[in-house]
Amino acid sequence: METKRFYIFSPGLRLWHWVNFFAILALFITGLYIGNPFFLGPIGYEATYAYDKGITMDLIRKIHFVAGYVFLSGFIFRVIIALFSKRDRLIIPPFWRRDYWIGLKEITLKYSLIMRDKEGNEYIRNAYARSVYPLIYLLFLFMIITGFAMYGMSNPGGLWASLFGWIIPLLGGEFMTHMWHHWIAWIIIIFAILHFYLVVREELIKQNGELTSMFTGYKVFEKEPVDIEDIKE
Amino acid sequence: METFWETFKRHGLSRRDFLRFSTTITGIMGLSPSMIPKVVQALETKPRVPVLWVHGLECTCCSESFIRSATPLASDVLLTMISLEYDDTLSAAAGEAIEKHREEVIKKYWGNYILAVEGNPPLGEEGMYCVVGGKAFLENLKETAKGAKAVIAWGSCASWGCVQAAKPNPTTAVPIHKVITDKPIIKVPGCPPIAEVMTGVIMHLVLFDSVPPLDSQGRPKQFYGNRIHDTCYRRAFFNAGQFVERFDDDGAKKGWCLYKVGCRGPTTYNSCGNIRWYNGLSYPIQAGHGCIGCAEEDFWDSGPFYERLTNIPLPNVEANPDKVGAALAAAAAAGAVVHGVLSKIRNK
Ligand code: HEM
Ligand code: HEM
Ligand code: SF4
Ligand code: SF4
Repeated sequence: METKRFYIFSPGLRLWHWVNFFAILALFITGLYIGNPFFLGPIGYEATYAYDKGITMDLIRKIHFVAGYVFLSGFIFRVIIALFSKRDRLIIPPFWRRDYWIGLKEITLKYSLIMRDKEGNEYIRNAYARSVYPLIYLLFLFMIITGFAMYGMSNPGGLWASLFGWIIPLLGGEFMTHMWHHWIAWIIIIFAILHFYLVVREELIKQNGELTSMFTGYKVFEKEPVDIEDIKE
Repeated sequence: METFWETFKRHGLSRRDFLRFSTTITGIMGLSPSMIPKVVQALETKPRVPVLWVHGLECTCCSESFIRSATPLASDVLLTMISLEYDDTLSAAAGEAIEKHREEVIKKYWGNYILAVEGNPPLGEEGMYCVVGGKAFLENLKETAKGAKAVIAWGSCASWGCVQAAKPNPTTAVPIHKVITDKPIIKVPGCPPIAEVMTGVIMHLVLFDSVPPLDSQGRPKQFYGNRIHDTCYRRAFFNAGQFVERFDDDGAKKGWCLYKVGCRGPTTYNSCGNIRWYNGLSYPIQAGHGCIGCAEEDFWDSGPFYERLTNIPLPNVEANPDKVGAALAAAAAAGAVVHGVLSKIRNK
């Protein structure tokens, strides 16, 4: 069957995706250690001199915070590119359009193995993905707000505390802010697992370049995707 | 009413004593030495301020702490700085006499007295879970607050609700700011608050005739501006990753950081790390026990006290978030594999 390649993801989006991926990986691993330091730091040194010997809490927190700044910069970058280019606004689910609701029905049937994946319409991005990504962006924002609030409250009068400190009483105090930050960290990781699986699944079934699309920017389709308008400038 | 300086003279104390006292309390209030002349001037000119100290649902730990203040001595504060007009726990009079006196004082000093509240009002059953002098404390509190210049919320009870407001809060106990909404309230949380913090707050109110600078939560910045963790002398062990894992292990003997045995220092704002307790002798962490976060909102509901992470707050799940998270992640991965195989078969 004849196929056609479509250019979908801008270089900026692809760059952001992978920078973000590595930032989250670093944040999650260091975050788990912060939440429960499962190994001890260097033994046999006076604490005052031990903080810079090998892998210490000090180092792990530093990595978490550096990755946090990267994550924040990435988020701002992601918002800016969405403002300037249409194809970077795919994260907005088009509730007001019929094809979104048809797509939602089709993808539900496909994931429940009732419909075959090659049947029905083609979409540049399926309706589940279109509905879930915006929620994930909100969770990213939540992690930034809670993260920088906790980070900033070591200086309650400072910039970060005045920007994000308001979240702490809303969540019921700083301890609960830590807990929320911790719970949402796990939700993001569970998203990542399912997300990775669904990307691989698409590739295995359709061989449409899904897996490599976040590197190359291209996906391959047999018919024209019904939501193609969304990336036409 | 007489001023502090006059009281000093009447007690036969010298000018030198007076200046030494002024300097000390300037430090305690967290003010810079350049403020000493202002404090001296205030002490020379300000009359003693009437204080009404009421007790609701509470355990009296705040009073117990207060009377142990060493710099300044609680007795100095009580006898020379304020005029404690009503306190059903400390006063000699009791019963109808003192309740009548309360009403008179409210009228006499209307708009000029300070209301100090220890404990909090329960709202359930129209306040009948706490009755003082035959009336619901809730009513007493509202009545006494009306003519107050400022209100001090002593301890975690008045500030946040504390143990009586812990889930499931059977008496619907609420912090006083839920009941008193039209007066400046100074929250002095802690279970109890540190004695010197209590006297420090009173002195600020009295000497400067103004509410001390408060943070967004209504706590005086000079005493609640730092986390215990950021002032803790064990912090070097935290940064080095040297943690106590059990209370009888080697690390505990060496005085390592108590983070892994549940220390809430990283999320608690109080002065324990710098002012300390018992005239600066020690504080819980110095004694080898983690902070339980007694100055924080809902600290009773943020347990278990001896674990770093609280359990997931879902019914019937008694597990820590890392266990639940790992189980869910494993289930997601396993589900993905199964779904993947089935998808491949279905799409043959
Ligand atoms: C921490 C891990 C990850 C996170 C948080 C994440 C997040 C995201 C988000 C938010 C998007 C939507 C981008 C947008 O248009 O705004 C996306 C798209 C995508 N990601 Fe990831 N990702 C992760 C890991 C991965 C991995 C490991 C792969 C694959 C090997 C991958 C492949 C893709 C692909 C192919 C798309 C486009 C899918 C589509 O158009 O529906 N991602 N990812
Ligand atoms: C997806 C992003 C992130 C993940 C998965 C993540 C994960 C975690 C986890 C699991 C913890 C331990 C929570 C606890 O039990 O106390 C933590 C702590 C923390 N995170 Fe994040 N985090 C993320 C983003 C951020 C960002 C953007 C910042 C901003 C600087 C940040 C700052 C912090 C701080 C200050 C702590 C507490 C450290 C301490 O108590 O010593 N996090 N993080
Ligand atoms: S003992 Fe508690 S407050 Fe002190 S450094 Fe350790 S975690 Fe922080
Ligand atoms: S160390 Fe923590 S629990 Fe102990 S008195 Fe201070 S604030 Fe309260």
